[in-house]
Amino acid sequence: MTAPRGPQPFPGQEKRLRLLAFVRQDSIVRVDKRVEDTAMVWPHLLVIEFIAAMLWSIGLFAISAAFNAPLQDHQTPDCTPNPSKAPWYLLNLQELLLHMDKGLAGVVVPTLWLVFMAAIPYIDRSREGVGIWFTSPNGKRITIFAAVYSTLLTFSLILLDAFLKAHGYIEFASDYFPGGKQLFPNYVIPIAIMIGLSVLLVVIVKRLYGASTREWMIAIYTGWVATYLVLTVVGTSMRGPGMDLFAPWAVPATHQCFAPTK
Amino acid sequence: MLEIPAQIWQKTKTSYIWRSLFRHGYPDSRKNQSLAVFTNVFLHLHPVKVRRHALAIPYTWCMGGLTFFLFLVLTLTGTLLMFYYRPTTEWAYSDIKDLETVVVFGQLLRNMHRWAAHGMVITVFLHMIRVFYTGSYKPPREFNWVVGTLLFFFTILLSYTGYLLPWDQLSFWAVTVGYEIARATPAIGDEFAFVLFGGFQLGPNALLRFYVLHVVGLPLTVGFLIAIHFWRIRKDGGITGPL
Ligand code: HEM
Repeated sequence: MTAPRGPQPFPGQEKRLRLLAFVRQDSIVRVDKRVEDTAMVWPHLLVIEFIAAMLWSIGLFAISAAFNAPLQDHQTPDCTPNPSKAPWYLLNLQELLLHMDKGLAGVVVPTLWLVFMAAIPYIDRSREGVGIWFTSPNGKRITIFAAVYSTLLTFSLILLDAFLKAHGYIEFASDYFPGGKQLFPNYVIPIAIMIGLSVLLVVIVKRLYGASTREWMIAIYTGWVATYLVLTVVGTSMRGPGMDLFAPWAVPATHQCFAPTK
Repeated sequence: MLEIPAQIWQKTKTSYIWRSLFRHGYPDSRKNQSLAVFTNVFLHLHPVKVRRHALAIPYTWCMGGLTFFLFLVLTLTGTLLMFYYRPTTEWAYSDIKDLETVVVFGQLLRNMHRWAAHGMVITVFLHMIRVFYTGSYKPPREFNWVVGTLLFFFTILLSYTGYLLPWDQLSFWAVTVGYEIARATPAIGDEFAFVLFGGFQLGPNALLRFYVLHVVGLPLTVGFLIAIHFWRIRKDGGITGPL
């Protein structure tokens, strides 16, 4: 029997090591890690996670002890609450429904948005500004601009829609628009507005701030966040019976039982 | 005085059973700290070391981690709720009522599940915002952003399917709104709504389908996606930071 080659382990401390594969640094870990600015996970990260989990557990207990989850009467199909609202995180979609065709607002637009969002890294491929909030001071200015632009426009459009509908817009469209009250009010105009205003936003930030791909992506994404939030807030706190628009402090109570007219 | 506990600790640590559980000493040296992380199935989701930057709360807001925390809370409270809840139109509502009035701590349990669910929708949104604005979707993390987009979608779907289960006026009519939307899907609206809701009305079939999706289908999907998400974070070189 020949002695094994290589350095011998101390008795009682035999370790078996096996080399599985050579992997080029770049292919698995593509971001360079310098030794000097690393910290041990135990204890530095685990302590943060532990404290966060404790605080959130306590907070959740406190909230759950203080506030009860809603539960109304047993469901009955004979009695429609007016308005019937989706859970708040879907009220943005429900708000959108009021302004265009249902299928467009409820299915097509969100699907296209999700697809676009998943595609963001494939459109903006630069490594510009990784790990830096807003990439650059310019990025920050663009974020603010896009947030203000989208908030104001979305809000104004909602008000405009309410105003026009209160002044016979639907009747006017039925009589005079080609395609009646469907084609233009429910399809052409909303689609033109959504695409037009997004393109306009990109054009503006390119002109005004010389935006790079990353930067106009910031503009578009910010526009989405702002629109999403405005729609959620309007849908949650400004829609009353009949989904009519009210000031947040003047929304009438929901009619719990809105018997269908016989 | 302290000798006795010290002796017991010493005995325990060198006992056969203890050493079958832990293959390292107390994590007070670098070696043992490393071993503690990578010999533990739960901790080894982490690397042994991270960049200091990754610890900064103003950077990540801890939002990904908190989303995961809420997912775990929801799994736990949800499993407990399953002991009491039957997804049929005869029982669903009264089971929830019982939970509130008869079951010990039932109301608290239900509240925790409900508020954690709302919380998760908020934290996942905030997490996504932080990832976007720090440019963390850029190479090599493109695919993890796609996984994230799916997680966002499925988180909302999870919340929505759970919303129907109490079978009260609130949940019924809220889900009816979604039903109307599903039916308005271009071209395949009726078929799509029929498959998802099990009929042309929100009835027992819809309740059962939503229940199965809510307690089995979607949590498994989200669980798998989270596993992929975490795996990819490691393989993409940990979380981002300024280069
Ligand atoms: C159930 C939902 C999710 C969970 C549990 C989750 C969990 C996490 C955790 C724990 C991290 C580590 C860093 C951090 O905490 O920020 C992370 C990073 C990341 N997440 Fe998520 N996430 C979820 C959803 C999403 C979504 C919706 C997106 C985007 C659309 C996303 C994209 C990413 C990316 C790209 C990273 C890497 C970030 C970096 O390297 O800085 N995740 N996620």
